[in-house]
Amino acid sequence: MGAAFHDASLLQQMLIGALLGLSVYLPLSCGQLSLATPGFYAIGGTTAALLSTRVPALGGGDPTYPLSSVMLEMAVAALVSGLLALGIGKLVLRLRGIYLAIATIALVEILRVTTLNQEALGGAVGIFGIPQPFNNPGGYAAFTLVVLALICWLFARLEDNRTGRAMAAIRDDELAAACQGIDTAQTKLLAFVFSALVAAITGVISAHFFNSWNARLGNFDASITTRAFVVFGGSRTWLGPVVGGLLLTALPELLRPVGDLRLIVFGLVILVGPLLAPQGLVTPERLQGLGRSLQGLRRAPGGGEPTEALDPGPR
Amino acid sequence: MTPPLLELENLGVRFGGLQALDAIELAVQPGEIFGLLGPNGAGKTTLFNLISGITPPSRGRVLWRGSEITNLDPSRINRLGIARTFQNLRLFHSLNCRDNVLVGLHRQARLPWAAALLGTAAGRRRQQTLRDQAQHLLELLEIGSLAHQPAAALSYGDRRRLEIARALASGPELLLLDEPAAGMNPSEKEALRLLIRRLQSQFKLTVLIIEHHVPLMLSLCDRLAVLNFGKRIALGTPEAVRQDPQVIEAYLGVGGVV
Repeated sequence: MGAAFHDASLLQQMLIGALLGLSVYLPLSCGQLSLATPGFYAIGGTTAALLSTRVPALGGGDPTYPLSSVMLEMAVAALVSGLLALGIGKLVLRLRGIYLAIATIALVEILRVTTLNQEALGGAVGIFGIPQPFNNPGGYAAFTLVVLALICWLFARLEDNRTGRAMAAIRDDELAAACQGIDTAQTKLLAFVFSALVAAITGVISAHFFNSWNARLGNFDASITTRAFVVFGGSRTWLGPVVGGLLLTALPELLRPVGDLRLIVFGLVILVGPLLAPQGLVTPERLQGLGRSLQGLRRAPGGGEPTEALDPGPR
Repeated sequence: MTPPLLELENLGVRFGGLQALDAIELAVQPGEIFGLLGPNGAGKTTLFNLISGITPPSRGRVLWRGSEITNLDPSRINRLGIARTFQNLRLFHSLNCRDNVLVGLHRQARLPWAAALLGTAAGRRRQQTLRDQAQHLLELLEIGSLAHQPAAALSYGDRRRLEIARALASGPELLLLDEPAAGMNPSEKEALRLLIRRLQSQFKLTVLIIEHHVPLMLSLCDRLAVLNFGKRIALGTPEAVRQDPQVIEAYLGVGGVV
């Protein structure tokens, strides 16, 4: 029972890591190094913590907190962080490269310090006793898996159409993209806002799962960790940050048997990963290669069902 | 006479102490192939940058069909019908050739949100039409077989062709070509000359072209302007420009043989 409990709990944290990886990935996929994800994650967490503990009507009559109320919190958190991202994005997205990164770190810090100093937002102590919509980690993991699948599907759709191509073009050469009639400012803003929405929704799930929320959960360290998810997993397809988030969240736990050495090993992985695979673990080329070898495997034993194989056509 | 498509009025730009362009006056008529000649550093590419909205001018105005477009940003200017290629090639390297052209089709590729998101049958058909359009443009530029190659893997000449395909995809009336024949051998240059002529008549384009290869320019262009040290030193038909003493001086120096 203990082990199963632990496994589901770890799985849940991995899924949260994947969601945060996707949030960092989105601005990066159009070349914008934004580290704002933990800020919007914190807005989601704080919103959920406040609403679920201070608004009795949301609790309903049941001992388990209703899922519909969680959805409502998600909507409110998405609205708040979406509007903030819209306002802030218009300003900070004029900055490029490392300057944008610094501005977004400042945003994360402002939000953290504000929360820390506002008793109404939980202050230094935080907010405890956040009600539980599920009575075991397995329930959380199943729910989060559905959310992750939905968001992955949206990302895959995005990359297959006009806006996704515009984002890739901006990443490769912003000036050339503008000369093709792409409204680069609007496209970058869209990515920034959508990234904030994903982070806020993840924050809502986390607040319930952790059972408590405090300002430290959205700090600069989280900016770096979530960025590492994308560097490690790869920033050229949405699958990269998902894989990076899952693996790098699991790694410290899986390394527990080696004791304190695990921190060193973890650091080494983050250091060596980008050296061995500068584009990250998952790249479109590797996915294509994998797809081809899978097709090869499928055809080899039966002597071939040559229906759709060898067609390099539309993705 | 029809009003000019593009007009430059007293256009000048200064980079610090360098007067890169000075009092440029130019009017490009619809349908013509207009050439810009000049030694290196004469300001030809800077002029393209001013027209396409990349560099703001210090002085003067750019008029498109009679209305001012001087300080519009590059994406607005492209949407008005001006597309360009780049001398130093600015392709989207991580995308394949077809996707590079699809980016050029950006403006036409708009789908209703629901269709784009859900991948409805109508949405998929639209995507397929766009892909076919992109493929068609690649084939016009004779690089159709490279559609699935990443842009970074192309040869130099093919990259130049891909840049033209991408620029055409945005549906321009005026095409700015910045040294499209650079790095090509004589037979490729001749093929390019024919190609530009063909595209010009097929798409009813007006073409403004920068190129160093004088014989190519003399045979391709309807009119030519010659720049030197940021000033327009000659303007006219290829024949007139070839015999202009100032042009001969800029290219060959004083006292040079003709």
